[in-house]
Amino acid sequence: MTSRRDFLKVTGAAGAGLVLGLHLEAKPQPGEAAKTAFHPNAFLAIRPDGTAQITVPKVEMGQGVRTALPLVLAEELDLDWSRIEVVNAHPGPDFKDLGTGGSRSVGATWIPLRKAGAAAREMLKAAAAATWQVSADQCRTEKGFVLGPGGKKLSYGALVEEAAKLPVPKDPPLKKSADYHLLGKRTPRFDGPAIVTGKATFGLDVRRPGQRFAAVLRCPVPGGKPKAWDEARAKAVRGVKAVAEVPTGIAVIAESTWAAFKGREALAATVTWNEGPHKDFNSRDLEARMRAALDGPADTARQLGDAPAVLKTSPRRIESEYFFPFQAHATMEPMNATAQVHEDGADLWLGTQDPNETQERAAKALGLKTEQVKVDVVLLGGGFGRRLGTDFSREAIHVAKAAGGGPIQVVWSREDDFGHDLFHPATLHRMQAGLDGSGGIAAWSHRIAGPAILRSWLEGTKAPGQTQAETNGASDIPYDIPALDVAFAEVEAPMPLGWWRAVEIVPNVFARECFVDEVAHALGKDALQLRLDWLGQRGRVKVGRHEVDIARLRRVLELAATKADWGRKLPAGHGLGLACHAYDGRTYAAEVAEVSVAKGQLRIHKVTCAVDCGLVVNPAGLEAQVEGGIAWGLSALFTQITWEKGRAMQTSYQDFPLLRLPDMPLIETHVVTSAETPSGMGEPPVPVAIPAVLNAIFAATGKRIRRLPLEDGLI
Amino acid sequence: MPAYQLTVNGRARTVDVDADTPLLWVLRDTLGLTGTKFGCGQGLCGACTVHVDGRAQKSCQTTLKEAAGHKIVTVEGLSKDGSHPVQKAWVAEDVAQCGYCQPGMIMSAAALLHRKPHPTDGDIDEVFADHVCRCGSYPRIRKAVKRAAGGAK
Repeated sequence: MTSRRDFLKVTGAAGAGLVLGLHLEAKPQPGEAAKTAFHPNAFLAIRPDGTAQITVPKVEMGQGVRTALPLVLAEELDLDWSRIEVVNAHPGPDFKDLGTGGSRSVGATWIPLRKAGAAAREMLKAAAAATWQVSADQCRTEKGFVLGPGGKKLSYGALVEEAAKLPVPKDPPLKKSADYHLLGKRTPRFDGPAIVTGKATFGLDVRRPGQRFAAVLRCPVPGGKPKAWDEARAKAVRGVKAVAEVPTGIAVIAESTWAAFKGREALAATVTWNEGPHKDFNSRDLEARMRAALDGPADTARQLGDAPAVLKTSPRRIESEYFFPFQAHATMEPMNATAQVHEDGADLWLGTQDPNETQERAAKALGLKTEQVKVDVVLLGGGFGRRLGTDFSREAIHVAKAAGGGPIQVVWSREDDFGHDLFHPATLHRMQAGLDGSGGIAAWSHRIAGPAILRSWLEGTKAPGQTQAETNGASDIPYDIPALDVAFAEVEAPMPLGWWRAVEIVPNVFARECFVDEVAHALGKDALQLRLDWLGQRGRVKVGRHEVDIARLRRVLELAATKADWGRKLPAGHGLGLACHAYDGRTYAAEVAEVSVAKGQLRIHKVTCAVDCGLVVNPAGLEAQVEGGIAWGLSALFTQITWEKGRAMQTSYQDFPLLRLPDMPLIETHVVTSAETPSGMGEPPVPVAIPAVLNAIFAATGKRIRRLPLEDGLI
Repeated sequence: MPAYQLTVNGRARTVDVDADTPLLWVLRDTLGLTGTKFGCGQGLCGACTVHVDGRAQKSCQTTLKEAAGHKIVTVEGLSKDGSHPVQKAWVAEDVAQCGYCQPGMIMSAAALLHRKPHPTDGDIDEVFADHVCRCGSYPRIRKAVKRAAGGAK
């Protein structure tokens, strides 16, 4: 027999009396079905003073989860938003999936967080009802209080002790959206005040007693190893304490970051490398292999009818090749982790998108049990997929182990961050459309050649889902085309690869939506009308591995077009371009870009974006994600990573020209009102921005851009 | 090796590290003021911007020797309680996303407004062309600078 105390933790808080801790992620116990009503990965504590502590089961990297997820719980519980503390979850048995990516956080936690809040609300109401000897039905909650008949009123804080004695309701009633007072209203970012005063803690801001700093000298060629070096040169630098070989290179450990950097610079002058088998790798050869692969065997991702045969016999066929280059993440905070290895295990303090994997991989590296590694997640100075990797945390663990003693912060310089990114790979796309005699679309073929991110992620293993993953954004083409053929021809490349903002779909949606525009132009049709015609009047349809609600996609297209006054007469040299995508069938986005080109110089004036992400949790957060997502997409018009002699050639912001404030267009966001389950907004605006702008460039100039980047921003 | 004297956020500090140490690392590693951020170390991203005698300067491109004897203000010293008009405007406009680049942005905004209480869009463009925000908070930065300018009237 298990006591309620197992899942209703009543614990003494330091000097603050009793704490009602709803252990929401409690595992089901035999005979205690109540526990299963609480979904994993959420945590709430209300103190006797009425403050509520909400543990966020995802990590904050700028996408707003430390605001949005507490809002969802606070709404159901009718908490006073001004009396909330937000803390990050630790990986472990209570939080088995803190992994944050794919714009999934709000959707994945929507029901569990609501149930968590609702269960607590019902318990507090029951506690008040018992105190007043009335029925719980006569009680309601408001802003941290239970209100009863005859003006009775008790704060949550006053009720925690009694509430903690009550059973956790299995299936608490959830609020109706009409009763929401927090959700759907603009709520500023929870961490705003800490950020603007410099108090917010990012990975690089971690300071532990006795902490030292380290920089690692790594071979610039993937797979290369140091052959010989003279550590005395590094040790001669003031502040350098030790030099140690680690699996990723040679670590210089010092009293300060600057001493570590200087020591590493001195060491670099002495090192010779065994650059390994990839020392002659370069972008040109890879592209030639990619082009050859387009004619070779490929893995089919989606097949409908006999597209190759239809293409052969079509009275009219259009074919184009699109190229998207390698990209870096370039988070503003370079990679870093602070690690300490001690007798009982290890501690890590860092910003990571995958705390659980970080914990497991660190434990494995040290031969420890998972639970012997403690992972403290702080704010991430940008994630965008880069911090899903455990390369930098494992490296820090090795450095800390080699150095011994106190905590070590391994700091990557900006050049380290560019040179040893988990790169988003280049891809080459062969697009073919077969048109029938009456100008209808009869067949569509999208063949992609490039390195597979998923294989790199799995350290060389080809997963069953690889083809679907690499073709996402292409294989889920939402248009109603009788014959379809989407395939992936894998090409080997030596560098570590990783997902980007919008995971892997950016190049695929770029090629697809630009080519739709090409076909529209070839047919003399309006690009909006052609898309609506191709979408047809359908409901939910299965496209590849996703299910897409065609009506929702049509709605965002029409809304963006209406708001941008699509079809209006423009000044000479100006153009409007359109693109749309149903992101994993969850979030729908359409964008209209207005650009002008004068003397070859591109100006992006405005992007009008329409989205449908279901119910909007926080409109302020949504708009920030649309603005930021579009900025990300626009940067990709100008940036690339190229390879020579096995090395990434771009080393910092001077040769990776990210969009800056003066070039940021006006962004207009329009939201389709929806009661559907909320879904993510961090990524869906990204892939659509690129084809929208390129299609606008075509409208302005008649020049079709099929290859990125736009060198020097010139057309 | 001489120790260097400088004033940081109104407090006299003596620092005994190499003369060529960038002010950025003096602030972060020696004085424990981690509000000033390391972004690139090359003066390209603006994340490390502080005030030196009231002017916005990239602390990664300023050596300790150059900073010695001058008045340094970091984001921690802009106000005691986040009440500087720029900080208030930043919160009101909900500018930050990940927030990492924002202290540098805020220091540049404060210096701009000190120099030019009612900046034009062109002035804002000129100052923030020196900064990068990978999250793309740019539209709100512009709004916040204008809000702070209005509030400072």
